[in-house]
Amino acid sequence: MPKVDENKVNENKEGIKGMANPGRYGIERFAYWLMRLTGLGLLAYFVAHIYETSNILKGKAGWAEVLAMTQTTEGHIVLTIVIGMCVFHTVNGIRVMLGHGGIGVGTPGRADYPYTPRSQNYRHKIGIYSAIVLAAIAMMYGMTVMFGE
Amino acid sequence: MRESTIMKIHYGTALGAVALVAVHILFRLTQDFSQSLEYESVIANYQFLPYAGMLEIILILLSIHGFNGLRVILLEFKQGPSYEKAVSYGCIAAMIAVIAYGSRTIFMTSMGMV
Repeated sequence: MPKVDENKVNENKEGIKGMANPGRYGIERFAYWLMRLTGLGLLAYFVAHIYETSNILKGKAGWAEVLAMTQTTEGHIVLTIVIGMCVFHTVNGIRVMLGHGGIGVGTPGRADYPYTPRSQNYRHKIGIYSAIVLAAIAMMYGMTVMFGE
Repeated sequence: MRESTIMKIHYGTALGAVALVAVHILFRLTQDFSQSLEYESVIANYQFLPYAGMLEIILILLSIHGFNGLRVILLEFKQGPSYEKAVSYGCIAAMIAVIAYGSRTIFMTSMGMV
């Protein structure tokens, strides 16, 4: 019977917790995790936004009620997070799309130790860091617009 | 439908939505942010037909992209014929429900039924 690597078995048994752990496997793994997290956050916001805007059908009073709920400091903070999620998801999504199309993944090469995939190169790392920086800038701009009034 | 075709739709809806959502946000910035959210301003936006049409397209694009994304995430967690079928049909049902609910707001407001 082949010898079983105990550490490997434990790692594989982590399930969803293991999948959600962004602290391993570098920035690419973090981007993968953040892409899904921001996607779920944006879907939740989208559904909430559809519900929120449907209140316009209740007339001026109904609309004012919704605005009073969302046009608050907490509402603006939520919207700032949504802006950040939106920008990261968009920029990183474009990076992923380009990667799927074979752009920026590099050329095939000999597999040498430590077997770093050629696709995980500086171009994609720059793409991920750019997505994070642009999201931060957009959040700051959003805060200026919302809190600056 | 082949998964490769679904991913092409996923990417297509993403690119379309990015362009149109940018226009949607720029509309909010044509005046003061809080002013643009006033009742009369929002009603005027809805009753401007090209804008209402754009909102409907955004609604459809984002629903398809969002619920397909959710389907992909759920299929990464677990696989199996019955689970995959349940997730896929569940996401399609949720997508149709959101499109129907959002369209109701757009149509009723743009036709002045408020």
